[in-house]
Amino acid sequence: MKQYDAIVIGGGHNGLVTAAYLARAGKSVLVLERRPRVGGAAVTEEIFPGFKFTMFSYVVSLLRPEIIRDLDLPRHGLHILPLESTVTPMENGDYFAAWGDHDETRRELYRHSPRDAEAYDEYGRLMHFMAQAVKPILGMVPPDPTSFAPSDLIGLLKLGKHFRGLGGERLHALVKLMTMSSADFLDEWFETDVLKATKSASGIIGTFLGPRSPGTAYVLLHHYMGELDGVFRAWGFAKGGTGAVSESIASAARSFGAEIRCDAGVAKVLVRNGRATGVVLENGDELQAKTVVSSLDPRRTFLQLLESDQLPSEFVSDIKRFKFRGSSGKVNLALDSLPSFTCMPGIGRQHRGAFSISPSLEYVERAYDDAKYGEFSRRPYMDIVFPSMIDPGMAPPGKHVMSIFVQYAPYNLNGGWTDAKREAFGDAVVNTVESFAPGFKSKILHRQVITPLDIERITGLSEGNIFAGELALHQLFFLRPAPGWAKFATPVRGFYQAGSGTHPGGGIMGASGRLAAMRILKDGVGA
Amino acid sequence: MNYDAIVIGAGANGLAAAHYLARAGTRVLVLEQHQTADPSADIGWVPDAVIRDLGLSDAGLRIEAPDPWITAPLPAGGTLELSRDVGRSAEAIRRISPGDAAKWPDFCRRMRTLASVLERLYLVPPPDIESTDARELVRIAGLGLYVRRRGKQTVIDLARILPMSIAELLDDWFESDVLKGLLGALGIWHLKQGPRSGGTAFNFLHHHAGCATGVFRPARSNVTQTLSKLAGVEIRRGARATVLAKNGKATGVVLENSGETIEAPLVVSSAPPRATLEPLAIELYPDFARAVSNIRARGVVARGTLTLEQSPAYSTFCIAPSLDYLERAYDDIKYGKDSSAPYVEVQRTDGRVEVHVQFVPPGTHDALADRVAQILKVRPNQLALQPAEESLYHGELTLDQILFMRPVPGWSRYRTPIEGLYLCGSGTHPGGGIPGAAGRNAAREIL
Repeated sequence: MKQYDAIVIGGGHNGLVTAAYLARAGKSVLVLERRPRVGGAAVTEEIFPGFKFTMFSYVVSLLRPEIIRDLDLPRHGLHILPLESTVTPMENGDYFAAWGDHDETRRELYRHSPRDAEAYDEYGRLMHFMAQAVKPILGMVPPDPTSFAPSDLIGLLKLGKHFRGLGGERLHALVKLMTMSSADFLDEWFETDVLKATKSASGIIGTFLGPRSPGTAYVLLHHYMGELDGVFRAWGFAKGGTGAVSESIASAARSFGAEIRCDAGVAKVLVRNGRATGVVLENGDELQAKTVVSSLDPRRTFLQLLESDQLPSEFVSDIKRFKFRGSSGKVNLALDSLPSFTCMPGIGRQHRGAFSISPSLEYVERAYDDAKYGEFSRRPYMDIVFPSMIDPGMAPPGKHVMSIFVQYAPYNLNGGWTDAKREAFGDAVVNTVESFAPGFKSKILHRQVITPLDIERITGLSEGNIFAGELALHQLFFLRPAPGWAKFATPVRGFYQAGSGTHPGGGIMGASGRLAAMRILKDGVGA
Repeated sequence: MNYDAIVIGAGANGLAAAHYLARAGTRVLVLEQHQTADPSADIGWVPDAVIRDLGLSDAGLRIEAPDPWITAPLPAGGTLELSRDVGRSAEAIRRISPGDAAKWPDFCRRMRTLASVLERLYLVPPPDIESTDARELVRIAGLGLYVRRRGKQTVIDLARILPMSIAELLDDWFESDVLKGLLGALGIWHLKQGPRSGGTAFNFLHHHAGCATGVFRPARSNVTQTLSKLAGVEIRRGARATVLAKNGKATGVVLENSGETIEAPLVVSSAPPRATLEPLAIELYPDFARAVSNIRARGVVARGTLTLEQSPAYSTFCIAPSLDYLERAYDDIKYGKDSSAPYVEVQRTDGRVEVHVQFVPPGTHDALADRVAQILKVRPNQLALQPAEESLYHGELTLDQILFMRPVPGWSRYRTPIEGLYLCGSGTHPGGGIPGAAGRNAAREIL
């Protein structure tokens, strides 16, 4: 029977990145994907005839540039189109718009508050700098502060030196970003409520927190680290949807010799004498490998693929404690024609960007309040894009697709999710959009509503958490996913973790997958 | 009469700073805006070092150690009473949850270890992470080593727990709503946050500092009263003072009522940082001025007294039946309203019965007494409540406003850009709820 150098469990973007890097280094690699297609939560599917949807994740910006370069992804079909604007309709019929052109945004902000227009540049410079300062951390294996090993001590010293090198003011800003709520952080800079609401919205994405909850300023920064063609805070849309990103990584992996098998769910990791020797598929087939890598989330990786007696009990309880609490849903619509928003009537360039339904901080905070007590938001925060406006291939001629990211929809809904509750959630979303764009509902041809439970069922992400584990301060860096095991290795020899549940976390970033591959290559396959 | 130093404020921190300075041979005048001393008890840990250095035990310091330390009503009738003895508390908890009772001793031990790390950090100036001075770096390394020596688990617990919400921490350990409610209340104590907000686990540990193992309410004492009777400093009451500065140097103070000027080369203020600094020309230091205006010190508590015919049987009676109850109380204040069902705690102390009501925004509240009276099952006229205009702690104890970030980033060593003007109140490290600690740290830094 063939023994692979490495078997990668899960064909999401991180698993594919790991596989590509291992194959590029000359290893024999097999990727096993449970679903009929690769991509995990980054997939494009034709849900309704002629209408293609980025089912779950819908924008790209965090993908690490070194990965794009190392794997030569543009040659494998990666093509990112810019999302040019964000328009926030307000309850009073006005709007706030951020355009691709910096001066235009500044003029728009000036209309709301001359003071904020002044602060905007300085704020942008600071966030740009902070993102630059944190970026090296994304590509770094987190040192373990509880260890006295020389490599950890050196890592800590380097980290200390890096941060001290920032200088007082920026160091303080970093502490604030790590600890504050996005609303409090933005309150220090701006007075325009709609601006703060729209900016703070990127601090709540994927979290079970409101804009006034401490810890959200970090997620704000996390989303600021997006870098496309070296331009910060440039969100993009992949031609062909996010599935095309996954396909390009898969194509790169294949070009290096990796084998990818779909419809091949893994039931268990085989462990003999404390080391991983291969996997058992759901159909009972056994496959052998010197190294096994899981890109599934920590709960699935450790509590499902292994038996708990194969792991230290302390570690098992740490993993059980790791929080998921999915809070996001998605509504995908096929449209007969584009909706016109009251605040900016007609069809125009605004439809090539995003619409953010975040009219005020109070609106977003109240959306969170509903979820806190186990209900979906009656008037949710939404991030809306029309992929067919950027990439016409996504819908039949003249028709459109509309992607609505929705928060909050708690995984643990009171009474549990049912088909009726899913539809009620979809109605809340559609009715809220209708209130900002009258006549919109009549343009809907088909509707797909995805709850966190659906995300879990389809992609396998526990509790439907889009980051494979909450990006909370106590679940980052050397604590992701568990203290002492944040360096991609696991308590089982020859078994590694590579998903977004490891440092540095979620988004279509690929950093976890790359760092895991580096670690495996350093240890040596079969070590 | 010439003074070497003027201290603004005759609270525990102002007085502690004054006495430390006086003991070093400084002629000190303390100016207090109120005519009469606040009769309410001091709440919080009085550090042993302050007691020892200033001889407070002999001067009549009384620190209350009530047993049981808390009483909370149970939904099915009866009460849960927690004692100073960990085993007895566990017995009481067993009646509502055997699982929680089993975890209680371990929880108490873990929290005590973490609080002891804070205690160590609180009696020295905060680490200066920007410093390039070798001595400071050695000191920081020493603090790191101190933490590391407490064991691997302590390092992990600190990193994990401090940024957590108190709700997450308690959900990790316990199932009983009543137990989680009365513990969770300490996590939001004087904070404009609900128990699901990150950093409230830190606030919980902050208020556990100085407490015995298994006691999760700060001690009550007469420390301010004791300090004010101590010989060695002159205290002038009814004197509201504003700092005077010339050419970036403090020159003394001017009294608001009389217009009298008192000169001194050193002015130490225990008043809130913003109140002390904003009358001065700090716009000359724009970054500093902006940081001062950004200090969050929002009032969320109404305090007052309850008049009862006879002294109550309990020492502390807590109405915080669940974490959700506390969270809903917080929801109201997020939108500017006082809690429709607030967290209420009643404490018997020295013949008085004091009341803490949270969340109450500043301003007048007609229906507040009625609502609290209904919760406590007393008549509204038995209650006298006063909503705080500003945080009693002069700066909320959130993770971005502690240690080297307190009172403002980069100015944590009690100094200000005005030469000769120092801060020593709750707005400075280590913050409120530790009467005397900031005053002591500031005085030592000045000396």
